[in-house]
Amino acid sequence: MTAYGLLIDYEYCTGCQSCEITCKEEHDYPVGKWGIRVLDDGPWEIEPKRFNWNKIPVPTDLCDLCTDRTSTGREPMCVHHCLANVITYGKVEDLAKKLPEKGKQVLFVPQFKPYEAKGPFVHDPSKGLRKAAHLEVQENTAAERMAAHRGDARVEEY
Amino acid sequence: MKTKATPAIKLDTLSDVNDLGKPWRYTEDGLTVTRSSVWSPPGCHPVGCGLKLFVDDNGRLVRVEGDENHPVTQGRLCPRCIALKDYVYNPSRIVFPMKRDPEFRGQDDKWERITWDEALDIIEERYKTLTGKYGRETMVIFTGTGREGGTMAPFATMSFATPNFCYTQSGYACYTPRLAACAYITGIPYPELDYAAGLPGRYDDPEYEVPEVVMLWGKEPLPSNPDGFFGHSVIDLMRRGTRIISVDPRVNWLSTRADYHLRLRPGTDTALALAMLDVIIKEEIYDKDFVDYWTYGFEALAERAAEMPVEKAAEITGVPAEDIINAARMYATAKPAGILWGLAIDQKTNGMQNGQAVVALMAITGNIDRPGGQVVGDINSGLNEGGFGFDEGIGPELAQKMIGIKEYPGYCNLILNSQADMTLGAMETDEPYPLRMGMYTGNNLLACTSAEPRRWRDAILRSLEFCIAFDCFMTPSAQATCDLFLPLATVAEREGTLFAEYGAAPLYFGAMNKAIEPGEARSDLELAFTLGKRLNPHLWEEYDTVRDFINHLRLGRQFDFEDLRKEVTLQQDISYFKYESGTLRRDGGLGFNTPSGRIELYSSAYRTFNEDPLPYYEEPHFSPVSTPELFEEYPFVLTTGARTYAFFHSEHRQIPYLRELNPDPFVEINPKVAQRLGIADGQWCEVFNHIGSAKLKAKVTVTVDENTLHAQHGWWFPETNPNDLDENGPYQTFRSNINNLVPNFHVGKIGFGAPFKSMIANIRPLEESYDTDMSVVWDKFGKLV
Ligand code: SF4
Ligand code: SF4
Ligand code: SF4
Repeated sequence: MTAYGLLIDYEYCTGCQSCEITCKEEHDYPVGKWGIRVLDDGPWEIEPKRFNWNKIPVPTDLCDLCTDRTSTGREPMCVHHCLANVITYGKVEDLAKKLPEKGKQVLFVPQFKPYEAKGPFVHDPSKGLRKAAHLEVQENTAAERMAAHRGDARVEEY
Repeated sequence: MKTKATPAIKLDTLSDVNDLGKPWRYTEDGLTVTRSSVWSPPGCHPVGCGLKLFVDDNGRLVRVEGDENHPVTQGRLCPRCIALKDYVYNPSRIVFPMKRDPEFRGQDDKWERITWDEALDIIEERYKTLTGKYGRETMVIFTGTGREGGTMAPFATMSFATPNFCYTQSGYACYTPRLAACAYITGIPYPELDYAAGLPGRYDDPEYEVPEVVMLWGKEPLPSNPDGFFGHSVIDLMRRGTRIISVDPRVNWLSTRADYHLRLRPGTDTALALAMLDVIIKEEIYDKDFVDYWTYGFEALAERAAEMPVEKAAEITGVPAEDIINAARMYATAKPAGILWGLAIDQKTNGMQNGQAVVALMAITGNIDRPGGQVVGDINSGLNEGGFGFDEGIGPELAQKMIGIKEYPGYCNLILNSQADMTLGAMETDEPYPLRMGMYTGNNLLACTSAEPRRWRDAILRSLEFCIAFDCFMTPSAQATCDLFLPLATVAEREGTLFAEYGAAPLYFGAMNKAIEPGEARSDLELAFTLGKRLNPHLWEEYDTVRDFINHLRLGRQFDFEDLRKEVTLQQDISYFKYESGTLRRDGGLGFNTPSGRIELYSSAYRTFNEDPLPYYEEPHFSPVSTPELFEEYPFVLTTGARTYAFFHSEHRQIPYLRELNPDPFVEINPKVAQRLGIADGQWCEVFNHIGSAKLKAKVTVTVDENTLHAQHGWWFPETNPNDLDENGPYQTFRSNINNLVPNFHVGKIGFGAPFKSMIANIRPLEESYDTDMSVVWDKFGKLV
């Protein structure tokens, strides 16, 4: 399976939040829900007169990489509207090749609804064969003792 | 001028499947797509970003996308247009005319729906009665900034034929002081940073040079797209190697990328500019040829600048002397270098001198009218509408009644506006004559533009017998003071034209194309036409349709709207070094359009207005230096109005997605000060001074230093009580209005400039919270109609 991602040149991400709003419009996400969030680190002082201030857009668990659009060959909406033009969409392997070209880049490979992506729980019969510890009454006595059963082995088989 | 759009340059991130080359209207997947170059409303400056408006079979706008065919924006959009649908179909939008008995001003439930015919009948009757009694000058038009309504001078000149067209901000402290300074000194309306907007090859065009340095002076172009400049062009340039100098009291995203960030005390810019001039002149790093051939008064300027040595400026501004020297050297030696000058220049009493000194910097470094420096228009550029209809509609006699024309001729004659502060005074006193009728066009002065807003409200209530609102939404201003409400069409519902940056520089222009039907709403152009035909038909005889009017007013009859709309956006031809070719002067002579034909570093125009012909520094009227005793009580310098991506001034508070980005009005306070005063991040505070107070939410951040507070502007809360019941006013607008702390009548000698960004204040924590509940905003405005 080919993985797709978003390469972000955060050297120039200005924090305009067009990506956030266009994602909400595209997916009808209500107030309180987002497909991408612009994280804000700063400003804090590195040394007098020099500040660290980076805006880093991070796709959320609701980013579906604009499947409806990208399946028609178009780029995602956040890529289209980004005012600083810092988001590139593509195959992860192609985007990864661009990483060495310059600093302050980050490559995201989002997972839409990761919980749902795992699918419903199904028990795997090959798992869970180790039994829990339990109480046993010793033969010919009234004494109880802790017994630990490992795997299918019975105590007496040890 | 070009008549055919050149193909836009494709952004590298745009997919190969795209809409480049599509016509102005096409269909896609059963939707009709209309391409448009949009301006207003909602409010924006004339940036004219390219939009694709997708409309379904029912005529409903279902999708908005950035148009990759736009030569400058190339498909990129800011959050406000991305959320355009939520504005157009907002459940609180007003889509039909309404009336209310003036007795019930301030009461929301007293509005009554009426027809357009009835509305026009009422206006005609009121206009005839009131102007019959008091003369046509009794009508005043309150204009705002940015939106088309703010520029619709024909409302005054031709519809109501009154001389009192009034931008209601004290000292017209927005754009025009800068423009006036530049016009008086150079004869050029506006020296924009050259960002290759008119060149077909854009940044790679052979005519263009990327500036080595851009100096941002009191401007934060990224969120504001100021005056129509596409702010992220600065990012485009930085990617191509441009370095930044930032002159700004606050830390902002761009300033943290600057080689020099000169963090001056708010309001002291002119001292800084004079010191930079002094460095550049003393070190002889100015453009000697340009100064010799094309400037006037250089020696006088040099002497004046010498009175502001770097050490003195360092003391006044708080900027270290070596930073001033190094930044001045960097700007002067870079070739080319451009300045982006901003609103902060206007928002001080000393604004005209600040503008004058910055123009002098551009001039003596030879950067005016040079590729990659300042791009300027020739004698034919500029909006055709300056003075449009003035002679016919108003004439010399009535013009002399314009409020303020005798006291402030350098203001009133230049911008053909009544002086803002004096207009307030007239409404308070009926001097020089009573103002009895009014109309708002693109203005929400109680929430946004005006200083001491309660004072404006009281003046309007006492003075105006009849007042009209023309807007998309009920505003606090309309709620408190109006008797008739007319519904305004949004940019998706109207046609019109757009000249980037008001046409003040040669960039690009385009067509706002109508994509959906407006219902009962009308555009500014339509209303001016409709009212004019009713009230003063003799002034409108040559126009049979609104299109005729557009073709004349906006296009100077050089284009037909019908043709323009198909091109959507056209770049304007740029040429450089025009002072060498005689195209800057009406008489065709070489040089600049000033009395001396040169850039007047020593200004003969300023002298005519009894102003010092040379730039000088004047302390803000309220400051640690000029009012030390008051400063003990109010020990912070207050600057206001930094722009956000979410809002255009007082607009967009009812758009949930945008409000969510900035739910509450904040005041920025330095962490050390917050610690000392016991203010926690996110705590509500009262900011106050001797003029008034406002409640805002603390944002504890190092963007401001320990001497400075910064407060947001333009706040009201459309989800709250609409009635003008208590001291908080309609929609709680006065609760958080930072203009409560800003005085009127502290303007410069020419009448321009006011201290919106250089006041003093104190701050104290509050126990109560006024936090916006976004679920209420979402419930109220989230379901589109
Ligand atoms: S790719 Fe699409 S879904 Fe993901 S963040 Fe961007 S706009 Fe949202
Ligand atoms: S749209 Fe682009 S520049 Fe703006 S915040 Fe998102 S990634 Fe950053
Ligand atoms: S700057 Fe923003 S609001 Fe203004 S036209 Fe462009 S996208 Fe629209």
